[in-house]
Amino acid sequence: MMKIKIAHLYYDLLNLYGEQGNILALTNAFNKQKINVTVDLLSIEDNKKFNKYDIIYIGSGSEENLLLALNDLKKDTQEIKEYIKKDKYFISTGNSKDLFGKFIQINNSKYKALNIFDYYSKQNPVRIVGESIMGFKDLPPIVGFQNRACVMQNNYNHLFSVINGYADNYKSSYEGYRENNFLATYLIGPLLIRNPHFTDYIVKDILIKKKIKFKEITDTYEYKAYQEYINNFYE
Amino acid sequence: MKLRIIILLNKLITLVCRLLGRNASVFPASLVLKLDNNILEKIKYPKYVIGITGSSGKGSTTSLIAHILKENNYKVVWNKSGSNLLNGIATLILNNSSILTTKIKADILLLELDESFIREIFKKSTLTHLIVTNITRDQPARNSTPESIFNKILTSITNDTHLILNGDDSLVNQMTLKHKGKITTYGLDKTIYSINTPISNNIDAAYCPVCNKKLNYRFYHYGHLGNYKCYNCNYQRKLDYKGKKVNLNFSEIIIDNNKVHLNTNVLFAAYYTLAAYTLCKIIGLKEEYILKSLNENISKPKRMQNLKLDNREVIMLESKNENNLSYLQSLNIINQYENNKTIILGFNNVSRRYKYNDLSWLYDIDFNILNTDNIDRIFCIGRFRFDIAARLINSGLNENKIILVNDINNIIDMLKENSTGTIFTMVCFDMTEILKNLFLKEENGENDEN
Repeated sequence: MMKIKIAHLYYDLLNLYGEQGNILALTNAFNKQKINVTVDLLSIEDNKKFNKYDIIYIGSGSEENLLLALNDLKKDTQEIKEYIKKDKYFISTGNSKDLFGKFIQINNSKYKALNIFDYYSKQNPVRIVGESIMGFKDLPPIVGFQNRACVMQNNYNHLFSVINGYADNYKSSYEGYRENNFLATYLIGPLLIRNPHFTDYIVKDILIKKKIKFKEITDTYEYKAYQEYINNFYE
Repeated sequence: MKLRIIILLNKLITLVCRLLGRNASVFPASLVLKLDNNILEKIKYPKYVIGITGSSGKGSTTSLIAHILKENNYKVVWNKSGSNLLNGIATLILNNSSILTTKIKADILLLELDESFIREIFKKSTLTHLIVTNITRDQPARNSTPESIFNKILTSITNDTHLILNGDDSLVNQMTLKHKGKITTYGLDKTIYSINTPISNNIDAAYCPVCNKKLNYRFYHYGHLGNYKCYNCNYQRKLDYKGKKVNLNFSEIIIDNNKVHLNTNVLFAAYYTLAAYTLCKIIGLKEEYILKSLNENISKPKRMQNLKLDNREVIMLESKNENNLSYLQSLNIINQYENNKTIILGFNNVSRRYKYNDLSWLYDIDFNILNTDNIDRIFCIGRFRFDIAARLINSGLNENKIILVNDINNIIDMLKENSTGTIFTMVCFDMTEILKNLFLKEENGENDEN
């Protein structure tokens, strides 16, 4: 019996905006396809063995907690690079995306980040807060919310085009970072619950690679909630 | 001279508002503060200026303290209306100040304060005492993180302020590491309701604030409140006032070896009762007088209204959106009720302060508490009803129990036809009013006329 293995990274540090909802969304989306899922909760000082997972998820946290996670994750940099090279899914929401760049400049200090990608993040004079609507490939728009301290520079590998709301920085019209299946966005919270079509895009891709058929099931409250939001706030 | 004119003006505007039938609790100061926005620094304050702040429970704590103090013949000026921002508090202070002496006409000024506005209201160390009930995720669109709420509170006071802290909250307790003035802590001993692991992983205080190692929690009361200790550096909960043997069936708690009555049979009543007791002891009220006000002349709790639908009881619980502890308190009240019940959940707007509709917080709330047999139906209302339904199903609730209400005006008929048991509403401010009016209309028989 095939199982999908998910790791929720820093579930007790970077889980500030209901982000465990994303784990529920992935679990339920696979279960709907009659695929079993196991979820490992990983945090500071845990032995992380990233390679055994199909999906690694990391959410957002306070600036203090983000730095704690950064310090812990440094020893795993090489393993993360290899994981991403293998085209496996690594999903990062909120400010956790800052961890994978060159540096994070916050509270008047500059912290070396994991240096996996070339981008870097700097604290903005005011917090960036608001609703966002993003474009992703030919999917219907992605809806979400942002609440962050930093802006991102030197990012040339975008995940989303911005339809409404904030981009990486004030000059950009793009948001997020993508390399292979490393998907990172400043959108916070239960993004994968609110965008079931995006979740199904990921689930479908994973299943097809494993030569398992994907069945389209859209008669769910998640799809209805998405449509209701689009009706009320977008169209 | 100018000060006296402003006090007079504030009183006159209040009078005019009242004559016109308008809400006079906030508007007057919004005008007079324009004449002098340092006015609150110039007023003469009484011996005790007591603030109550925190993410939840500050209103209940404030009204219970007001009750005890008034029972003991103190003259208390307090923000009964719950207006806890600058204009509401300035209106209250100016209206209760003497035009002649510019002094507040009270022994004690008692204020429920919004965490973010203490600094704006009191520009110097006016507060003699400040109670901090808890700090949790609360309206992140304006408060960002719990850490940022912590910093806002701490930078609003000086060492002259005596802090009274909920020691069960490790985030609040961190103030003991930074505040150099007087500190008193309170908290609850293990109860029969304590749990060993948190219901969900979204704990706000999982790590030691001193050495960053994982904290060990011996038990949790609810949310992240509990008994914690760091085995690495010995940072731990230390309580000056301890509530023991909480018994919700008898609505009672033991404090200082005395039985104390809880005015609601929910765990968080133990917190506000203990906080009120602690504060009153600190300002020198005798134990026997405090006990008398709590045990004999009982005060009614606010934020719970009871109505009827036919023969069914309707219990309206107000839950603050974007605040997981507030919802958790409502969930615990509902959970404690053992008979058959129906629940109404939902909102049209996430906030009444800003236009953002961030839904993240729905996944910080332990809705799986509702996964019990004695819940007959859950009605989802408002613009985000599908999001709530999705949240409930993701918490493992049976889909057959969930009913979507597309038109709120049909809810009374739907409740009658499709549900049984006591009706609990756990909605935010906007829906409370709408539902209350619909229930009252039904009670008065207006729907039967046609």
